[in-house]
Amino acid sequence: MKTTPLLPNRYKKIGWVIFIPAILAGLMISILDFNADWLTTNVFAIWNDPIVGRASFFTVIKTDVTNTLVGALFIIGGMMVGFSREKQEDEYIAELRLSSLLWAVCVSYVLLLLAFLFVYGGPFFTVMVYNMFTVLIIFIARFNYLLYRNAQSISHEK
Amino acid sequence: MKNNIKVERAIKGLTQEDLANKVAVSRQTINAMEANKYVPSTVLALKIARVFGKPVEDIFMLEDID
Repeated sequence: MKTTPLLPNRYKKIGWVIFIPAILAGLMISILDFNADWLTTNVFAIWNDPIVGRASFFTVIKTDVTNTLVGALFIIGGMMVGFSREKQEDEYIAELRLSSLLWAVCVSYVLLLLAFLFVYGGPFFTVMVYNMFTVLIIFIARFNYLLYRNAQSISHEK
Repeated sequence: MKNNIKVERAIKGLTQEDLANKVAVSRQTINAMEANKYVPSTVLALKIARVFGKPVEDIFMLEDID
């Protein structure tokens, strides 16, 4: 039967290998305010608007790419984990996947709403940074929890 | 919607795994249907009925809440 387009199953493992280190590195950057100076390099920018100086478009700039790198790895790894076929992908798994996505978007926006209402000033910016990643994290957590719970209920049944 | 997949399976002497293979789904799906946690698509319901050699209505029944 026709199912939604997804990556082949092997990408899920590769995804985890990228995703987990990216989460750890991301937490390290945000908690310790860590920046790897040796990661300063030339990058192509469609839009660059530094705090001091003028905005420029379609230029090559020199900048610290620690955040860029970790963020990109997080997104790539997370998408591989979340959007790879299961070993036996079928309509029930597809439903679990969709309901997990719905759940993730809902929870993520409720969290954002709470942040809008109760967080002000500088910390609000931090919350916004975290919120960029919550949908993917909550989706992956919820979906894999459901898969785990199903696998558990199977082992009791013959 | 209720179903008696488990009963039909016992009559035919099939395990969840056997039935899953015959209709090309995972064992989790058969398990979830038997536990009434998942309502199958029409395609899957028809496939299951074909394995048991019975009309769909003999295996899947509506409940009052449906």
